[in-house]
Amino acid sequence: MKDQTPSHAGRWLLNRRDFLRYGGTGLGGIALLALLEEQKLLAAAPSAMPPQWSPENPNAPRPPHFPAKAKNVVVIFCSGACAHLETWDYKPELIKRHGQPMPGSDNLITFQGENDNLTRPHWDFKPRGQSGKMISDLLPNLAELADDMCFIHSMTAKSNTHGPAENQMGTGFVLDGFPSMGSWVSYALGTENQNLPAFVAIPDPRGVPQVGPNHWSSAFLPPVFQGTAFTADQPIPNLSTPKSISPAAEAGTRDFLKFLNDRHLARHPDDGELLARISSYELAAKMQLSAAEVSELSQESEATLDRYGVNDSNKLKAGFARNCLLARRLVERGVRFVQLFNGAYAMGEGVGNWDGHKTLKEQYDIHAPILDQPCAALLTDLKTRGLLAHTLVVWVTEFGRMPTFQKGANGRDHNPHGFTVWLAGAGVKAGFSHGATDEFGYKAVQDITTIYDLHATILHLLGLDHERLTYYHNGLERRLTDVHGHVVKEILS
Amino acid sequence: MMIVSGIRFRSLWILALGMWVGASCFAATHTAQLPPAASRPVDFATDVQPLLAAHCYSCHGPERQRADLRWDVKSSVFRSGEPQPFIVPGRSAESRVIHLVAGLEPDSLMPPKGEPLTAEEIGLLRAWIDEGAVWPETESSNLEAATTHWSFKPVTRPDVPAVSPQDFRLANPIDHFIFAKLAENKLAPSREANRHTLIRRLYFDLIGLPPTPEEVREFEQDNSPGAYERLVDKLLGSPRYGERWARHWLDVVRFAETTGFEVNTPRPNAWPYRDYVIRAFNEDKPYDQFIREQLAGDILGEDAATGFLVAGPDDLVKSPDPALTLNQRADELHDMVSTAGSAFLGLTVGCARCHNHKFDPIPQTDYFALKAVFEGVKHGERRLRTADTAARETELASRRQRLLELDARLAEFEPLAQVGRLDTNLLRAPVNARQNLERFVPIATKRLRFTIAEATGAEPCIDELEVYTAETPPRNIALASAGTTATASSVFPNSEIHRLEHINDGKHGNSRSWISNERGKGWVELEFAETVAIHRVVWGRDREQKFADRLAIEYRIEVAVSSNDWRIVASSVDRLPYKSGVQEQPVVSVAGLTAEQVAEVKNLQAERKQLESRIAELAQVPMLYAGTFTESPPATRRFHRGDPMQQREEISPGALGAIPVRFDLDTAIGRGLQPAEILNAGGPTGFAASAAQELTEDQRRRLALARWISDPANPLTARVMANRLWQYHFGEGLVSTPSDFGENGARPTHPELLDWLASEFMQPTADWSARPEPHPWSLKHLHRLIVNSATYRQASGARGDALAVDAGARLLWRFPPRRLEAEAIRDQVLAISGKLDLQMGGPGFSFFEPNDNYVRVYAPKQEFGPETFRRMIYGTVVRQRPDGVFGVFDCPDGGQIAPKRTRSTTPLQALNLLNSGFVMQQADFLAERLQREAGPNAEAQVRRAFALAFQRQPDHAELGAAAQFVQTHGLQVFCRALFNANEFVYLF
Repeated sequence: MKDQTPSHAGRWLLNRRDFLRYGGTGLGGIALLALLEEQKLLAAAPSAMPPQWSPENPNAPRPPHFPAKAKNVVVIFCSGACAHLETWDYKPELIKRHGQPMPGSDNLITFQGENDNLTRPHWDFKPRGQSGKMISDLLPNLAELADDMCFIHSMTAKSNTHGPAENQMGTGFVLDGFPSMGSWVSYALGTENQNLPAFVAIPDPRGVPQVGPNHWSSAFLPPVFQGTAFTADQPIPNLSTPKSISPAAEAGTRDFLKFLNDRHLARHPDDGELLARISSYELAAKMQLSAAEVSELSQESEATLDRYGVNDSNKLKAGFARNCLLARRLVERGVRFVQLFNGAYAMGEGVGNWDGHKTLKEQYDIHAPILDQPCAALLTDLKTRGLLAHTLVVWVTEFGRMPTFQKGANGRDHNPHGFTVWLAGAGVKAGFSHGATDEFGYKAVQDITTIYDLHATILHLLGLDHERLTYYHNGLERRLTDVHGHVVKEILS
Repeated sequence: MMIVSGIRFRSLWILALGMWVGASCFAATHTAQLPPAASRPVDFATDVQPLLAAHCYSCHGPERQRADLRWDVKSSVFRSGEPQPFIVPGRSAESRVIHLVAGLEPDSLMPPKGEPLTAEEIGLLRAWIDEGAVWPETESSNLEAATTHWSFKPVTRPDVPAVSPQDFRLANPIDHFIFAKLAENKLAPSREANRHTLIRRLYFDLIGLPPTPEEVREFEQDNSPGAYERLVDKLLGSPRYGERWARHWLDVVRFAETTGFEVNTPRPNAWPYRDYVIRAFNEDKPYDQFIREQLAGDILGEDAATGFLVAGPDDLVKSPDPALTLNQRADELHDMVSTAGSAFLGLTVGCARCHNHKFDPIPQTDYFALKAVFEGVKHGERRLRTADTAARETELASRRQRLLELDARLAEFEPLAQVGRLDTNLLRAPVNARQNLERFVPIATKRLRFTIAEATGAEPCIDELEVYTAETPPRNIALASAGTTATASSVFPNSEIHRLEHINDGKHGNSRSWISNERGKGWVELEFAETVAIHRVVWGRDREQKFADRLAIEYRIEVAVSSNDWRIVASSVDRLPYKSGVQEQPVVSVAGLTAEQVAEVKNLQAERKQLESRIAELAQVPMLYAGTFTESPPATRRFHRGDPMQQREEISPGALGAIPVRFDLDTAIGRGLQPAEILNAGGPTGFAASAAQELTEDQRRRLALARWISDPANPLTARVMANRLWQYHFGEGLVSTPSDFGENGARPTHPELLDWLASEFMQPTADWSARPEPHPWSLKHLHRLIVNSATYRQASGARGDALAVDAGARLLWRFPPRRLEAEAIRDQVLAISGKLDLQMGGPGFSFFEPNDNYVRVYAPKQEFGPETFRRMIYGTVVRQRPDGVFGVFDCPDGGQIAPKRTRSTTPLQALNLLNSGFVMQQADFLAERLQREAGPNAEAQVRRAFALAFQRQPDHAELGAAAQFVQTHGLQVFCRALFNANEFVYLF
């Protein structure tokens, strides 16, 4: 039963003549049809420049619209709205006027209702690095990397409630059902390593973020571009062969399946989708090996493991550290887009994530150490290994928090009018700050930046024009940036 | 149209090449012939537009629209659905307009008359395209253009073309249209597929399940005339048909059984809509009625049908922030407007939320007119009405009245609360979480205060505080509706369910309760409308008995006539000590009563017990997640740029002005219901709106829209649905954008056929092959016409000659093969393993582990019990979380509508089908079945397995290899392999 000829997938990829034959004449039926649909619909946008992809090799690397600064992206998403005023956005006036009412805030109703007086941050701010950037003591390890970071202090979000706001940061739209940033990128660019997914989402050890898989959903894009979710401790579901199947039985199964499929293909010789399916089994087999290998953190040196905090006695911190290390290993192996989550769904206000409404100090004392050292180690490690030269790191959260405390509580309410994100690495200025909120950190007032702008900028760094990366769905050529967005040119290096 | 389509398809192969090998192949063979692109920046207005005006406008402009195309309208030039786009920005060599003007397409040089374009002009066009084909947005004539758009023209019944292909028996007019177009393109149809292919195709297409080996044998051996047609009738008559086709409709209407967004809370009573759709398909409910019921089923006797309105997401996370609240409501209504527009009309009405539609004749005011139609609809559950609903409600009211009387009578035996020196012989029952009674000597009062000094757990909770007058019958004067106002020491912040007004709203239970914001204490004060004599207070923590925490165990009740003359009338000092966990019925102490009194108490208590169980029974009405309705909807205002904070003029309810059907609120009023509708409106429950029934404003609006959509003069309704059916039968619609029949959507490949089908749908005039007399708007009639056609019965084999002309088989020279959908694969696995449970309807099973976090966590099950062995349509649909095993086979996520599923091939599909617990388990079951049915012989087992899974016998080589595989690795491993074979998951 052993077949000595190259595998179908192999032949498919290697033999240009066959490729042409199947491509030009043999693909009648739905594979081509579906593809034609995709392509012609894409091409219908007035200015669309659709990626050219084939179902047989959907994640093959594809050229960007123009030369790219970044090849890979790591997005670190702090779920629950990490307070900009406790971390990156230094407001001396807020400290000075602690305890006073915020001017102009009479009758201000925010997400949870009424607000009390201005409240100074709980952690002191200090100048950091060569740039002297003022950053709080909440995240001391990250703060020391200020010279590598490029801050946008004037972010604004469309919604002040977590679900829609996380949707917007993750997919560009506040509603459910739109493709995630990473799926747009893998649709546009494919990936370098065919044995690993193009787009990997790494949920927090505490659970999935607040809108869960919306962050890595492909929605109406072909599912092959969706993110594959796994962590250092929880592998891809159904990745490993069941224990009851011996290696011999598994090998026998693959041969037997190939035998059945080859005979079937002989009866339907010109249907390319059958070939695509055969090759998907070969890819799956490779992925079993590669995904297991990438999660083998024991290959790392003790020093590296310690830098990340992999063996920390704080179990959550150690878990997140393993995820950070996994992120680096994925980037190293050519995975196009990695999304790393810090903070999970709500399990009581502020308990599982950064949603500090009631007892902000107590909760951030728990959350910050989980994030700080591992995340700082990741950034440093990417830099040391030279990966940061072609990798863009983006730290985001869904919106900011108020400069005031909530009435009757010791925490800050949601604030979509001003917050901070930072970028680092390929194509962005280092040790740079862009935009500003008002004197209390309530509203963005200078170089106001939308999430559309942030997305447009990330795509730009990947060599993609956000107005031309489109996909037809339900009457429109859809974009990550809807009909908005401008590249934030000021932060480009 | 005919000519144009011909041209279009002749060029398909160019596209196919371009597609598969990139531009290089094309460049090598053709672009050498093209004039070079100009080497300077080109401006659309000064360089390109004059050129188009000179050469193109006379045939493709304001006056004439040859090929339904206008070169003066951007959206027309860039429309979707062209097999090869006119313009591929950045790639002039691949842009069809360049091929046409350069004469690369034989016989299609453009312009066909007059001077051809010069090399310089072509070079300018090429440069413009290469530079990105920037065509600035202007207030162009899109609106005007779209009124001449094909899908807005009336449906007319075209003549059936005469064709006479050799050796082909034409079954019905479908074949005439299809074969005529094939002949035009010099293509021959394919021969009829063999019997085992046909039966597998029919089973999966019509019922979504495989035929049994016995059914295959019977069909293969039935050589009598009409065997195929009889099989079609049998399948269309099977209840499995509705289960299969309902799933398609549920895709179209974004049905899911959770709210979506952050909390993604289950809607446990959303399933009746799914059952309604299954039943509608099985009963062959006329489609116009199906439409009307989904929009206005509450009037037409099909309550569950309005599940359509609220099948989409809604954000349960509410806030006192008015802007957020307005936006959430606007999003809910937007979901209803856009889904109704796309599902029934095939129009992207939702695009006109913020501005006039860019491509179609839908001004923003039309969007808001439609929004006004739905303005009275809210997300939520309502009671299912049945034939005896009114009688039950009457009985319930009278039983509740009797309960009040009984409680008043029983209360007379309750010891009075002690306020003076404590008599330990007369201690009252301990407090309990359900309900407590405080009786005292009648006292006149204006105010009453309930002060809690200690509570179990956190902040104390009272679900309802009742105060009864000392008169017969007693009145509860605590109710807000009696004019009483409530104040409190504090209120639990930011909660929808724990609010001060819930303390005296007459509603019981945790979700209608007050909680203080102080640990273990708090007070509530009631001020009555007038001073009145009272002698009883009833209070509880949770009358629904779901919660027993937060119970006040130390408290006092005081009354006052003026502001500072408070007197204690009852307190906890004379109650027995509280024991946690004790949930007693209201207790009457019999200490100190006479024997007669004790007997009376026992009688009263016995009656009370019966009464309570009857009330519980009567109150138990099935709930439906099918929307709640506001009788008089609030005014609808236009939102400037779609922003609810920028409200403009008021807009009346209405429909789309571009469609010449009157939207008439008046004929929708009660007596306007036509007799046929009343007759049809029996529903499953016998409930029907009476002709005299007064309709509310909200109902009038929805019924008016329902009639407007289902009016036979509406040009879109029948076309859109006929196209949907075609799509699910052939894998692709005649219009490839099934929910976008607008300017930006695709054009029909066979416009006459589509119109013939639409016309035949509304007015069946012929008995082409249908045995049962077809009724208007019968879906089964269309199914029969389609699957009985020679077109459908063709073999699916690829033919080189045909592929070269029409690789996508859009002209249907063969039956296009396709991979089965997630549901068909899962159902098939279960059917073949022998474990499929065909129980129909009712609450669904879950693919996820139970979880009750308020932000719901959906962890896929790893082990599956028999309750999950039902058809996949009965799996509870969680928004954004498709099933962990089969979801990756392109299951829609319910976030947005999915009128056409993608068909992808991914390694994760392979991993799930190889390694998931579900597949391993079913492989075990199939192995057991094979042993049972075929005995211990490996060859016999293989034969049986092939018959079950592939509807055929293995050939010699397959039998040998498979039997050897079974002997080496065992039956289960063999069965697992079968589930993964291409033959198992493809339809030919």
